[in-house]
Amino acid sequence: MPRRVVDRLVLPLAGSLTTYLVLVGGGTVYAAIGNSASDGLVTQMLINAVVVLGMQIYIGNTGVLSFGHIGFGAIAGYAFAICAISPERKAAQIPNAPFGLAEVDLTPLQSSLVAALIAVVVAFVIGLGLARSGARSGAVAATVITLALLFVVHEVARNWIDLTRGGKAGLSFSPLSGVTLQGRGWIYLALLLALVAARLFKETRYGRLAQAAREDDLAARSMGVHPALQQMIALLLSVFVVSIGATLRVFELGSINPRLFFFKYTLLTLTMLIVGGRNSVVGALVGVVIITTGSELTRYLAGPSVDLPLLGWVLRSGLTDVFLGASMLGFMIFRPNGVLGDWEPDHWIARRSDRKSTEKQPELPPVDDSRPDGFLRVTDVVVDFGGFRALDGVSLTASSNEVVGLIGPNGAGKTTLLNTITSLVTPSAGSIRLDQDVLDGLPSHLIARAGIVRTFQNLRLFPALSVQENIEVARLAAAGHTGGRWQPDVELLVRASGLTELRHRRASELDYGNARRLELARAAAAAPRYLLLDEPTSGMGDLESEQMIHRIREVAGLVQAGVVVVDHDLNFITGICDRVYVLDQGKVIAVGTPDEISQDLVVQAAYLGGPIGPSR
Amino acid sequence: MTELLQQVVDGFGRGGIYALIALGIAVIFGVMHLVNFAHGELITVSAYAAYGLFAAGWDWWLIAPAIVLIAGLTSVAIEFVAFRWVRGAPDFTMLMTSFGVHFLVQAAFVMYVSANFRQFPRPGWIFQTWRVGGVSLEVFDLLVILFTLLTLAATYWVLQRTMFGMSLRAAAEDFDAARLMGIRSDRIIRGAFALSGLLAGVAAVFWLMRSGQAGPSAGLSPMLKGVLAALIGGLGSLTGAVMGGVILGMAEVLLISRLPEGLVGLTDGIVFLLIALLFVFRPQGLVTVRRAERV
Amino acid sequence: MLEVESLTTRYGAIAAIREVGLTVRAGEVVCLIGPNGAGKTTLLATVAGLLKPSSGKISLGDDDITDWAPDRILRSGLALVPEHRRIFADLTVNENLLVGGVTKTTARRIELRNEVVDLFPALSSKMDTSAGYLSGGEAQQLAIGRAMMAEPQLLLLDEPTLGLSPKLADVVFDLIETLRNARLTLLVVEQSAQRILEVADRGYVLRSGEVVASGPARDLLARQDLFDTYLGRNVDPV
Repeated sequence: MPRRVVDRLVLPLAGSLTTYLVLVGGGTVYAAIGNSASDGLVTQMLINAVVVLGMQIYIGNTGVLSFGHIGFGAIAGYAFAICAISPERKAAQIPNAPFGLAEVDLTPLQSSLVAALIAVVVAFVIGLGLARSGARSGAVAATVITLALLFVVHEVARNWIDLTRGGKAGLSFSPLSGVTLQGRGWIYLALLLALVAARLFKETRYGRLAQAAREDDLAARSMGVHPALQQMIALLLSVFVVSIGATLRVFELGSINPRLFFFKYTLLTLTMLIVGGRNSVVGALVGVVIITTGSELTRYLAGPSVDLPLLGWVLRSGLTDVFLGASMLGFMIFRPNGVLGDWEPDHWIARRSDRKSTEKQPELPPVDDSRPDGFLRVTDVVVDFGGFRALDGVSLTASSNEVVGLIGPNGAGKTTLLNTITSLVTPSAGSIRLDQDVLDGLPSHLIARAGIVRTFQNLRLFPALSVQENIEVARLAAAGHTGGRWQPDVELLVRASGLTELRHRRASELDYGNARRLELARAAAAAPRYLLLDEPTSGMGDLESEQMIHRIREVAGLVQAGVVVVDHDLNFITGICDRVYVLDQGKVIAVGTPDEISQDLVVQAAYLGGPIGPSR
Repeated sequence: MTELLQQVVDGFGRGGIYALIALGIAVIFGVMHLVNFAHGELITVSAYAAYGLFAAGWDWWLIAPAIVLIAGLTSVAIEFVAFRWVRGAPDFTMLMTSFGVHFLVQAAFVMYVSANFRQFPRPGWIFQTWRVGGVSLEVFDLLVILFTLLTLAATYWVLQRTMFGMSLRAAAEDFDAARLMGIRSDRIIRGAFALSGLLAGVAAVFWLMRSGQAGPSAGLSPMLKGVLAALIGGLGSLTGAVMGGVILGMAEVLLISRLPEGLVGLTDGIVFLLIALLFVFRPQGLVTVRRAERV
Repeated sequence: MLEVESLTTRYGAIAAIREVGLTVRAGEVVCLIGPNGAGKTTLLATVAGLLKPSSGKISLGDDDITDWAPDRILRSGLALVPEHRRIFADLTVNENLLVGGVTKTTARRIELRNEVVDLFPALSSKMDTSAGYLSGGEAQQLAIGRAMMAEPQLLLLDEPTLGLSPKLADVVFDLIETLRNARLTLLVVEQSAQRILEVADRGYVLRSGEVVASGPARDLLARQDLFDTYLGRNVDPV
């Protein structure tokens, strides 16, 4: 069985199933030895687990703090109730229901699916809004939009009396109609499916690309990731799961009212997610267990059966909410990544099996001499920042089999030029061509897919992902967009960058030299036609810079990419470049071989401000 | 025509309160990059303080300034206990922290006071109306507008004419450069919270005069409105926050008066919806604040 | 006046400056040159208290200021004009100056502001203009004036001619002369090595976080191989 399939499908499934059995087993035992109250508690816990798993799919993978998921739950809950409540009951509660809904009579299963579907459709619309607002991790606009959803749904539910019977009464199933949960069979099934869905989504292409965008939106785009697409898919799946959980909640309770899916429940579920670790699927479950246990404990302590006079001032009703708020606050201050961080049980197994596995030989690149030279052509680019002209008619050509250097004093416009080529900055004039294709006006991720991949002056790795995952994700992002270009094996790149020992280390833990090497490997994984490197040796000593020359040559040769490198270390530039452009104050003041440039007095003057030496 | 005028005054009256809250939120965001969802707790605390002081026999004339002071002190206390630890943390963490504080304080009130709302007397004169040239204006609205303008003027004076205000604005723009000038980060942040608290206190006085009740969620609604107003204006812009507050107040009044009978209860929902739409198309708010990201 | 010994500052694992030592004597103009990424800005930021060094010592006069907060260092007479100036664009010119004097009493602050305006007449007509609207040259003058509001004995200048045309750079170099004549001690980081060496008394050349050459400015100016340090080739440290 291919290693990839084992890692990404079998092990996660195994881990999930194990966790599931532990959770369900523990719950069943607890319910069996307890009374009816503990039975009800376990049921609630399992249902909450479904909801929280749904939330994890979105919040965990995209990093966008959504307050609206319970709002989606409300939509699903009401849709479910309206569909599943018998027409006789409906006639009594909402006789004037619009669209002839009072006649609808579906089985609970059908109602559940219909409800989830409706919620997903609404989610699609909201998702479009989120995309348009540029949602990403930490974005306030996204939080506001989702908060608005929660609020609006609540208000509609309270006021649209014909449909929902309003806020005071709500809708309810007949207690004698036989429409009860009847054991936890459905819940077990829903939980299993939710768990599998969440765990596997994390490993799919969409999940992983969403995680990359979560880690660093800009870096992800520069690799060809379109964050909005991944976020939308995560949203739709997560809303589906949350909706199923919501319908179960309504089913178990036997009624619904607007308060059931509003701030309190949002607080509860969010705290569960945060405490366990929002980037971990099993973490979501752990959070559910911890908070449920803690809440129950506080409820017990604050209840009538406990009488500790000394602690009386603490053990009062309302202690549960204090516990919830304190948990959220405490974790944010002391352990923002939750109990588990982003750990999953199968990671443990994967680490162990890693040592014993035999590495297969990585695939080598095809030898292709017939490929004609390509050109990256920048023509007369002008960039204005307000009144300041950063680039004044700059032209540059790089071919696919050379290394072109871009040097110049501070503020000359070098990074601006790279930013313009990769569409982070819009030029006022000029054009950029890749062979026959015009790149003007394309968004960053499409330029990356066309084959121009860059690194950043301030290192932008995906911090929470491992070395191997950083490279894998880049490869994944480019796969399908390479236009026939050969994509190097992840294994090959890991070895070529000398990062074999560190492959499972998180990118945030790497020392600088290794981090730069990873950056290079990651860029190469995207099968670029041109590598734009922004100060790859900054902060490096002489020896490391020297090594960097070899590494870049090696990697560029591997993927047969042309290189444009910006740097200040002229020793490095001289060693690696075939041709060099010198930029000063937004203009190209010299072009030539490194030797020609270093003799050029004009260049010297630009750097030093004037001629220096005894013959002055 | 007269009706429109009444509504405009009404709108400013509401908007004034929102503007004060929004300004407080914008001030904190400016220095700490934090959207303070716990801001509403200041109003809740004020509500309970009002209730308690009434029970002790105090009068509105004394209670009003007391509330303003209490709100200011509470704000500084919250910074000291909670936000101090998360300075410089990623945005997600800070957002959740402020929600955590919000829920915690609310829960503490439920626990130690009561889950129910307590009533306290509202000054009778606020609901009187004056007839000015054929238009009926509520004394209360006029007073709110007056005091809001006074408070904004005072705030403006503090920000523009005092060293503290200048330091605050400098720190909000470039925290490190401000430190280079000799401005102490601790003091500035605490000062920002104090200012923000005082503003909330003034807003609370009028909010409570109208609502006449104290409960654990007393601060929720005004806080949301304030946050929305600050966001409309574009976080970080102080003038934007004030603008946002006025716009919000106006929108509410106009909606309430123009909506058909059955939909009036949805006013809040519609306002929220409009704001969400604003954020879809203009996520940076109405007033753009310079903040470039170095690549 | 300023003594830096074996100073090392790290960003995470990288040492941006490594075992750097330099001395600035009262009344001197000392310059710090070298290619970009050499650590010049890091060095100044560390001295001014914005960054904490991982090892080494900084002494100002008799005080060990290594662990001091920026505002305490400022009160001791050391001010930094940061790279890219970092004036407060939302504040007026007048307010920028006043903020620079935040550690002074109100009366003294007004006095100082008037003195600074005398020094930079170009600013006098723009006192109530938002600093964001100033030209590059005016902004540089404001930045320096603002730092002088703290009455420093030692002024650190980080790339004062950055982004300025040659003509405006001239103005800055004249200014450095004026400040020296006013008995201010200066430590200047400059890109334009030739020009600063003409004005300075002594210089240090930094590369890759280390001091690779130092000496009287005149001597450094006469060296053929100075450009070589920019190219990355090793030079004699004399």
